[in-house]
Amino acid sequence: MPPISMKKVDIIVSLLVIPICLYVFYESARWPVIAGTGNATWVPRGDAVCLLAAAFLLFVEALRGRSLTIPSRLAGADRSRVLWIAVLTGAYTITMEYLGFIATGVPYMFGFAFVLGERRWVRLILFAVGVPIATYILFRTALHVPLPEGWFI
Amino acid sequence: MVDLNLLYHGFGTVLSGYNLIALVLGSFFGIIIGAIPGLTATMGIALLIPFTFGMTPITGIVMLLGIYTGAIYGGGIASILINTPGTPAAAASCFDGYPMAKKGLAGKAIGIATISSGIGGTFTALCLAFFAPILANFALRFSAPEYFALATFGLSVTITLSGRSPVKGVISGLMGLLIAMIGLDPIGGFQRFTFGLTEMSGGISFVPMLIGLFALSEGFHQVEVILSAPRISAKLNNILPTFQDIKSCIPAYLRACPIGLIVGITPAIGADTAAFLSYAETKRASKHPETFGTGEPAGVAAAQCGENASTGGDVLPMITLGIPGDACTAVLMGALTIHNLQPGPMLFQNHADTVHQIFAGMISANIVFVILGLLFARFFAKVINIDRKFLVPLIFIACMVGSYAINNVLFDLITCVIFGMIGYIMLRFDFPVAPMVLAQILGSMMESNFRRSLSMSQGDFLIFFTRPITVIILALAVFTTIVSVRRQNQALKQEAEQMAKLGI
Repeated sequence: MPPISMKKVDIIVSLLVIPICLYVFYESARWPVIAGTGNATWVPRGDAVCLLAAAFLLFVEALRGRSLTIPSRLAGADRSRVLWIAVLTGAYTITMEYLGFIATGVPYMFGFAFVLGERRWVRLILFAVGVPIATYILFRTALHVPLPEGWFI
Repeated sequence: MVDLNLLYHGFGTVLSGYNLIALVLGSFFGIIIGAIPGLTATMGIALLIPFTFGMTPITGIVMLLGIYTGAIYGGGIASILINTPGTPAAAASCFDGYPMAKKGLAGKAIGIATISSGIGGTFTALCLAFFAPILANFALRFSAPEYFALATFGLSVTITLSGRSPVKGVISGLMGLLIAMIGLDPIGGFQRFTFGLTEMSGGISFVPMLIGLFALSEGFHQVEVILSAPRISAKLNNILPTFQDIKSCIPAYLRACPIGLIVGITPAIGADTAAFLSYAETKRASKHPETFGTGEPAGVAAAQCGENASTGGDVLPMITLGIPGDACTAVLMGALTIHNLQPGPMLFQNHADTVHQIFAGMISANIVFVILGLLFARFFAKVINIDRKFLVPLIFIACMVGSYAINNVLFDLITCVIFGMIGYIMLRFDFPVAPMVLAQILGSMMESNFRRSLSMSQGDFLIFFTRPITVIILALAVFTTIVSVRRQNQALKQEAEQMAKLGI
């Protein structure tokens, strides 16, 4: 497979930097000025200016066709798995505090290993149930680190 | 100078009770993490920080030092057995380690790698114990302008030396600097870039961010590629090297130890550069350089010794000046801060006993992983075959628990997941992650000392150009930035020319 250029990504990143830098200027304009300590806006605005300059360079390099290429090991990789795991992780993050660590951990571990291609059901269920319970016991009892309990555990 | 009495008591503390157990467990997990391709020492430390919350500071720190040194060593095991480096730093060990394994000498190669890593690591840990108090004592003379210059130097070198593209490194570092400004202004105390969220008024939580950027992002990366490392077929026999084997490697050690130490002290370059330089120098100085690459034990010894010899050098600027040299020590610094130990010269003044316990821990960690490495070599070799379908979910749940456990707030968990996704995207598109994290630490140090300097001088910028140490450090920052940018541009040009030659 021929190497895939990162040209598009570089252009998108350099354009994304512009609103971030503009926001830095917008918000810092409202900060109070304290005499004798140097203007509080100098460092963030200086940073934003340098960031804009770097983004401009990246943009120019991309337009000149000098963008780097994606490493070959990633060229044919399956990104749909990442998307599924991101969705699962997001759902787990949001619900964990309300439903409890074990109640959310079991379906999360099950779904995770399933998305990664595990189809040996006994192993899958043992893993999904065992990991959250073992983690909970380890942290709560052995390390005295509290974990969310929510409506269940 | 190092206080031998405190160091002696440090050994007493480290090698007793829970501390020893933590050290052994840390080293054990460190070697496992290092041996599995795709998992790095930085990730290991970030993942296991939460396990230290319930421990006393020295127990936790000793465990993390065990993970650090163990993981750096453990990377060589996969290099030797499957020609895939367990950690990026262990790539140089492939050159001669794998050919040795193909000749049926896998056990011998692992034995030499273990002893060599131990020699390099112990040398550098002793140097750390010797030089750190001297440097910390010198740093007591530093004031705000010198710290500003040091932070600027660390930032500029880190940003320009990281990754394949200097521009991407700069963008990553400058974004990190902006993130470091979230929260309260260091002098005025007003809120900045918090978007009205009270959770952000104290700034972005450092450890969830670290876990997200270094561990979760790597987890997402593993999900994408689901590494299918080749299964190990080599049999490990005669692991303990003979005296003659070690004696033949002494010239390699004499070169690799100082190279590793110096490379470690230099910001932004670490174990990988140390291993490659040590290997190259040993090959150059050898009477039979043609044997290198065909299974030469001295090649394995040089790479592994140089790799572990960089660890003490990496820790030196972090513990004495509060300036982490690389991502690994940035994470270690975060762990120290969590345990209320703020690295810098004042640490030597206020916690001299703890500092000497850390030195003792570092020296002991290098001996412990040698013992474990020789005793459990066959087990660590089998670990490489671990099923990723179960390992990756474990990494994710450890990240989640770790992020939540710090303050028990959902916001930290969200921070970890967001930075995990950001880190994954950065990894995928060649934006180096380390500058962003280092800018978090050095950025706040740079800004607060910049403002303090101006307070000292009543707003006069000449304060940065009238103090000799400040001027020297700032000049060094400018010089190294220009040199490294030019060097990287040359490397990129060469890469482009090669691709053009290949018709790509």
